[in-house]
Amino acid sequence: MSLRDHAIVAYAETKVMEKSDRDVFVLGGEILESLLDQTGIDKNEIDGLVLAGLTGTGAANPFWAQTTADVLGLDVGFCEQVHTGGCSAAGSVARAAAAIDYGMCEVALLLFADTHVLEDKTDHSHSYRREWTDPYGLMGPPGAFGLLSRAYESKYGLDYRMLGKLAVTQRNHALMNENACEKLRVPITVDDYMNSRMIADPIRLLDCVMRADGAAGLIMMSRKRAKEKGLTKNIIPIGYAERTNFQGGENLVDVTKSGHEICGKKALGTAGLGIKDIASFHPYDDFIIAIMLQFEAFGFCKPGEGVPFIRDHDFSYNGDLPLNTGGGQISAGQAACSSHNLIEAVRQLRGEAGKRQVKDTKNALVTGIGWINYGRNWGSSAALVLVPE
Amino acid sequence: MATALNDTLSVKRVIKHFDFSEPYWEGSKQKKLVMQYCKVAGKYQHFPRPVSIFTGRRRDIEWREASGKGVVFSYTITARGTPAFRGAEPYAVVSVTLDVGVNFISNIVGCTVEELKVGMKVKPYWHPLDDGTHLLMFQPDRDPK
Repeated sequence: MSLRDHAIVAYAETKVMEKSDRDVFVLGGEILESLLDQTGIDKNEIDGLVLAGLTGTGAANPFWAQTTADVLGLDVGFCEQVHTGGCSAAGSVARAAAAIDYGMCEVALLLFADTHVLEDKTDHSHSYRREWTDPYGLMGPPGAFGLLSRAYESKYGLDYRMLGKLAVTQRNHALMNENACEKLRVPITVDDYMNSRMIADPIRLLDCVMRADGAAGLIMMSRKRAKEKGLTKNIIPIGYAERTNFQGGENLVDVTKSGHEICGKKALGTAGLGIKDIASFHPYDDFIIAIMLQFEAFGFCKPGEGVPFIRDHDFSYNGDLPLNTGGGQISAGQAACSSHNLIEAVRQLRGEAGKRQVKDTKNALVTGIGWINYGRNWGSSAALVLVPE
Repeated sequence: MATALNDTLSVKRVIKHFDFSEPYWEGSKQKKLVMQYCKVAGKYQHFPRPVSIFTGRRRDIEWREASGKGVVFSYTITARGTPAFRGAEPYAVVSVTLDVGVNFISNIVGCTVEELKVGMKVKPYWHPLDDGTHLLMFQPDRDPK
């Protein structure tokens, strides 16, 4: 079998919360219950559990995946935690398919539950940060994206109002998404974006993702089994690729280029699609400029032409290239192990996005960005192409 | 009217070293920039690693002194700092391309917002720490030779 012989048969998602009012295991249980109810499968049919590694709550527990299996009463032949940071959600789909393909499991629960606002056990101290960035006060991701943005601006020039256009588009989508974090469901304008306070100049407040709590999940199985079970509205992954530590064996690299350049070509190649064929785009968004860099890396436009590309296109749900139609993480909240954009793509392809439903549901491109490396852009890149059955 | 940047020299820094970085910190005691050099690739690397990033081998690494001169590759001005840096804002974090072909993230001292530019020439500024080491920072090289 290959990747495309597997199916996402159901999705579930909690509302994104500024801070969770319940424990992460409760959220996980709610997702499991919803997925079982939707599919009618028995709990004991689940024999695979795949968690995203991007968890603040589980970060200090080396047995997080097993603990979660235990809490949920799952007896599994495949128990996995995916450690590619913000690529973990998309990466979970590929790993679940691989495990099913190999025969390690038949029905996989992909669970993205995290309460990193309520309870954060993240510890970056055993990394370059302790010696090479913390002593200089580089403020984590906003600082790193400040350096990246200035390097881009210096190479190509950068009209920040065009980044503001992306921020406004995503915010408008969050206004239509009842699962988005309420704190963020407030209209903004390009002027609001431009005037939002500087965090790490040129990174503004409205460039940044806000951490939030929540959970989401998927059920995957082979297409054959999905058909036997009479499950319809299945979503098929037809192309996937990831890249970690792109150009990690070199010193002075072009920081405006990322591993997305490689995994975009590979994922689209497997899918048999060109970038112009993509009907909706669900890129990982931790900072607004990451979206523009991905337009360039995936070949929507040439390197350095992100600004005119943004100017010339309408990225709203009913525009010519729908973008993060649930609001993206920046306007929905960075919750549920950064699975929001993946879940939204699945919802859209099933035609269940309500008033923000895109017209063209023939495919969707979902991406991941994970980790921040020293003085570059990001440590992991992923691309996942989905189509409806 | 020039806009001042905080030098951040008042910020207390206690740095825990990896053992494979020790030659760097030893060198800093004498205000010497000592960096990892891969004899096989003929290239420097920063930050220090347990192996050459070019060949994957520890035995290919040696430590060589570098001038610390370079040009600003990028910079960001922090409006609200990390906890240790609260009260020192605004301060700049710069990424400097050193003449040995690596980027080095640091702070800049004696520089205004208006003066700070990508491509600006800089030279080392060694800031003493309590443990006898020095922190490599940069200052504008207004009279480059």
